[in-house]
Amino acid sequence: MTSSRRTRFLPALLALPLALTACGGAPEAESKEAGGDHYPVEPTSCGFTSTISAPPERAVTMNQGATEVMLSLGLEDSMAGTAYLDDAVPEKWRAAYDSVEVLSKEYPDNETLLKAEPDFVYGSYASAFGDEAAGPQDELEKLGIGSFLSLFGCDENQPSADVSFDSVWKEIEVVADVFDVEDRAEALQDEQEKVLEELAESRPGDGLEVFWYDSGDRTAFAGAGEGGPQLVLEAVGATNLFADLEGGWADVSWERVVAADPDVIVLADASWSTAEDKIAMLEKDPVLKDLRAVKAEAYVVLPFSETTPGVRLADGAVSLGKQLAELG
Amino acid sequence: MLQTVHPARTRPGAGFATGAVLTALLLGSVVVAVGIGSVHVPAGDVIDVVRGRLGLPAEGVTVIDDRIVWQLRMPRVVGAAATGAGLAIAGAVLQSLTRNDLADPYLLGVSGGATVGAVSVIVLGVSVAGLVGGAALGAGAFVGALVALALVLMLATGRAGDLPPARTVLAGVAIGQLCAAYTSFVVMISGDHDSARRVLAWTMGSLAGVRWQSATILLVVALGALVGIIAYAADLDAFAFGDASASSLGVSIQRVRWLLMVGTALLTACLVAYTGAIGFVGLVVPHVVRLVAGPLHRRLLPLSALAGAVLLIWADTAARSLLDGQEVPIGVVTAVFGAPLFAFLLRRESRSR
Repeated sequence: MTSSRRTRFLPALLALPLALTACGGAPEAESKEAGGDHYPVEPTSCGFTSTISAPPERAVTMNQGATEVMLSLGLEDSMAGTAYLDDAVPEKWRAAYDSVEVLSKEYPDNETLLKAEPDFVYGSYASAFGDEAAGPQDELEKLGIGSFLSLFGCDENQPSADVSFDSVWKEIEVVADVFDVEDRAEALQDEQEKVLEELAESRPGDGLEVFWYDSGDRTAFAGAGEGGPQLVLEAVGATNLFADLEGGWADVSWERVVAADPDVIVLADASWSTAEDKIAMLEKDPVLKDLRAVKAEAYVVLPFSETTPGVRLADGAVSLGKQLAELG
Repeated sequence: MLQTVHPARTRPGAGFATGAVLTALLLGSVVVAVGIGSVHVPAGDVIDVVRGRLGLPAEGVTVIDDRIVWQLRMPRVVGAAATGAGLAIAGAVLQSLTRNDLADPYLLGVSGGATVGAVSVIVLGVSVAGLVGGAALGAGAFVGALVALALVLMLATGRAGDLPPARTVLAGVAIGQLCAAYTSFVVMISGDHDSARRVLAWTMGSLAGVRWQSATILLVVALGALVGIIAYAADLDAFAFGDASASSLGVSIQRVRWLLMVGTALLTACLVAYTGAIGFVGLVVPHVVRLVAGPLHRRLLPLSALAGAVLLIWADTAARSLLDGQEVPIGVVTAVFGAPLFAFLLRRESRSR
């Protein structure tokens, strides 16, 4: 049983995307009698494969993104702890979130994590498995604790997944596979596909040039061509001013923003850089206050966590579409 | 000046008494520090874990307690003691060799070079000898430190193969600046939010990743360095009087200076590879020990090692238990507690003159 499962997972080491599709669509979703032949499951990301031999009952999530994937799958009862919020958990998952213990404000250290007796640790960024946090994944594996690092969170030694809605759904599939709840992942994906299709038809951002202002003052940290901001803007049919820049975000000089004079400014609302502060800055600056979008107050505000690759990206697109429609 | 030699002020019994006190303090610190951490483990359970591991009868040791006390805390305490001892003797030796009060273990570009190596691994994903994760980071830091050391030595060495202290210090500053420029550039241009966080965590130093294997290596390196350097205690005493006097006392100045400078730099590079650059210990501990026990190296070196070990054990204990469930960078702790202590001792010293 183990060996046949292994053989099927061999390609995972060579071609991660292929393997993920294979395991997401695999027939074990139907055969569910008492764990059945579903386990072991071997979630792979960023060059590391963990072996899960039973559905985790005491999962710990190290970052908000990971926490939200779990909550979107309704797995709060299988969780022993959460950590490190960037901003607020959305209203729809609030009650579920509150039912799980918060281990620490940022990353919990080794001792605190072990004390929670986790059987599965799930992080969004490579730093979650740093020495000051959960510790390396292979060390956890030695202690019999499974782990998974987000497909988007690899360190520089391994390429992260391309930022796309498909990758977001792939990650949800892998996590659902670990907990043997693939049907929930499918339902979630169907739901998100539906709202994205509706946006693609109505195109509320059609013809609008958008400056995505994430943070920064001396220079603007702007949404670039290869990340969450670009995906969200594409989903509503808007044009990203800095789509030609590499990476998810990039530092740009204010000169370029002034020269382009965008139609709309999207403001990411994060605890370290609130939308309110950014609006105040734009309206006070002697040059920026004359931008068309600033004069017309053509602002769209999105929570930061709806702009990073993850389960809330689709919510970000919906919210952007709605706010653009309201701006008229 | 703290550095100047006052043979008259050295009380004969002071070294021995201080040594006995520090040894007792070190052993006591190990015992107490193992009982402290972000998770509360009752003292009785801690004792049971240690007894069990030492092969003595112990009851009801849970797996969690064993992991926390024996596999996480104990190696960190041992590693902290070894690192503190190593940094303190490296600082003492370099202060004597360069006759510079501000000399610290990172004088010869070691921390700058190590940071360049670490940043290259974290941000650029440079791979070192096929290693991954923490091992790659340590190897990268070690290689970076060696390259920086080689550059400093090349810049500082004169035609006659001599290594004048002033030029060595300035060469270290120049290479350090270059390394800092590279580090800032790479982090700002290529780093994202997460890699910037990891670089910052690394540069502040931490013993969080130290397990038994690395603790053993640190201990062997620190003890080996201590024994090796104490053999040169008399030569180091002679250096305090200046090169001319040292040479008239029969010390082969160039050979000893080269040997000790490169030796302490290699020692520091080893420590940095495992713990990152931990400031303040190597700078301050030798000064404090000189205030108490005088400048003779056969006392200064072992006492500095003991004091450094005790200081870093407590700094690391604070680092892992100060904030509820989160790590504080150890560099922050050594500076926050070390600076006022040092200032106090300086004031006392100035009044006693």
